[in-house]
Amino acid sequence: MSRRVVDIDLNRVEGDLQFQLELDGNTVADARCIGTLYRGFEQIMIGRQPKDSLVVTPRICGICGTAHLYSAVLALEQIGAIPVPPNATRIRNLCLMAETVQSDLRQSFLFFTADFCHSRYAKHPLYSQAVEAFQPFQGWAHRGTLEHSRHMVKIVALFGGQWPHSSYMLPGGVTTPPTARRIVDCQALLRPLTRWFENQVIGGDLDRWLALASAEDLFRWLEDEKPAAGAVGLMTLLARSLGLHRQAPGTPHMLSYGVGCDPEHWQPPYTENRHLWRSGFLDGERGEVEGFDHRQIAEHVRYSWFLPYAGGRHPWQGQTVPDYQPHSDRYTWSKAPRYRDQVVQTGPLAELLIDGEPLITALYREEGGSTWLRQFARLRRTGLFLARMRDTLRELAAGLGQAHYLPPPDARLPDGEGYGLVAAARGALGHWVRVADGVISQYQVVTPTAWNASPKDTAGRHGHWEQSLLGIEVQNPDDPLEIGHIIRSHDPCLVCTVHVLGKDRRLSLRP
Amino acid sequence: MPAARHVICFGNALHGDDGFGPYIYQRLQQLDWPDDVRLFDAGVSGLDALGWLDGCREAILVDALANQGNPGTVHVFQPEPVDRLDNDLSGHAAGIPYLLQAAAAVYGTLPDIVVVGAEIDRIIPFAPGLSPAVAQAAEHALSIIRDRVMFQPS
Repeated sequence: MSRRVVDIDLNRVEGDLQFQLELDGNTVADARCIGTLYRGFEQIMIGRQPKDSLVVTPRICGICGTAHLYSAVLALEQIGAIPVPPNATRIRNLCLMAETVQSDLRQSFLFFTADFCHSRYAKHPLYSQAVEAFQPFQGWAHRGTLEHSRHMVKIVALFGGQWPHSSYMLPGGVTTPPTARRIVDCQALLRPLTRWFENQVIGGDLDRWLALASAEDLFRWLEDEKPAAGAVGLMTLLARSLGLHRQAPGTPHMLSYGVGCDPEHWQPPYTENRHLWRSGFLDGERGEVEGFDHRQIAEHVRYSWFLPYAGGRHPWQGQTVPDYQPHSDRYTWSKAPRYRDQVVQTGPLAELLIDGEPLITALYREEGGSTWLRQFARLRRTGLFLARMRDTLRELAAGLGQAHYLPPPDARLPDGEGYGLVAAARGALGHWVRVADGVISQYQVVTPTAWNASPKDTAGRHGHWEQSLLGIEVQNPDDPLEIGHIIRSHDPCLVCTVHVLGKDRRLSLRP
Repeated sequence: MPAARHVICFGNALHGDDGFGPYIYQRLQQLDWPDDVRLFDAGVSGLDALGWLDGCREAILVDALANQGNPGTVHVFQPEPVDRLDNDLSGHAAGIPYLLQAAAAVYGTLPDIVVVGAEIDRIIPFAPGLSPAVAQAAEHALSIIRDRVMFQPS
């Protein structure tokens, strides 16, 4: 059978990611995930003052700048062994959760569920319900998400002055105290979104939904009319009726750096696992969660457009020298990070499984990973975060007089090495920094998308997204809807360049 | 009806003529404006620009336009009604049409919208600075915006 190549641009809100699939008949025989943009932040940082990272690195991403800021400040605090007061950690966690909730809701109901309105499903018994809910700009879930998600990051603005690209975390804490007024303002932003999430997204009380602990619980919950008609219920029923719970698991190995620093226990030397949701590596073959050790991370460039080096390198020994080689077998500006020499995935599914969240763990044990479970886990995390944000605001309200910033004993950061690891919306994000002679001499950023969308490594093993597509059957190669479901369930993270404007015709403006 | 008028400039100053919007913003900032006029540098924001379409009766969107053969030509037009824009069912389209559809869905109605754009010569990645044709167009666009705001206060 002949092979053909299909290019899929993922220029959704932003740009710069492309999938190239080779079809053998109608089956995906090979997949290449192509990062088309070289960023260069690692070079930008060299020679700068350490604290410049707090201003420069949040600009890496217009969606998850809070996560980059959090990583950057943790790395500096580790280098200086600088203590942080619990309220600062609470505010950092609160802001990161707000950013993640916005991203997760948009990914789910602006992007993932829109594919259920495709005309191919017109005869599906839930089609009219799908269109009523998910049709772009008209469906109630799409419109509700547009409305509610945009307010969430105002919580970041209350503490950081702006979102995105804010710089309100600094070694020793945050710049703004949690006044009663700010807490009330945050609650006024959180409550309507939580009410909407309960009424429209899960179709019931948040705490009751969070108490579901088994597959049986979930399916019993979905037997009721209101939950079944809610956005998560509808997404679940549609996805499962299309078999999306039985396909595209990708790699079985999972990685989480831990979610949320534990405010009461987050203290120097910052090398222990003191997180609200624990960190770890889930060995997909043995089915066991093991402790996380950052020294087990190595990045490969065998299939990337970077100056070649042999094997993999830990980020502290990392090298990011662009070397565009368009006529070779190299195909991306992304590196291939590996953990303990394994291809891993990261993101909400990994975070919840590694922490042992009961419902996701039960579903995973029964059915394994899938397009649907990835998506469901993301919305499960949204529910968990909404509850945690509510609790965090209560904790802040109970300790208003406590410090939000402890001036570091020595204003100048010592030379040394440090890393800052957080759970960004798309998963494990790390900054590795070395300071020498008072300035940054090495900076390596390993993003969640580098893990998930990685190209092949030195051993020729595909990255997680690539793996998830191999062997998938496509009904119509000119309209590969099946691929769309899978790729969007991975939550592609893209950076801004694409942008279109219409006059009497549609105009394409940017390269 | 809110009283404010917004001038929202889109584009990336790092990429040659795509910096048309940001350049206009910089120049507009140096002028005096009536109290009801607010200027915004939207950069390359997508949905994050939603808030700027709220709370105003008129929005002037400033942006670079694709080269249709007459680089440096300034076009002033009202966008098509949002329900007539290419309806990308998937919702994965980007840019101002998407933004306007989202704004209509969220706010119910849109302010009066006028686009002031210049056909670009070319986009050179990571080469700041406008081509001569577009730099000249910027002067023209500036006077159009200024006249529109100062002499059509309605």
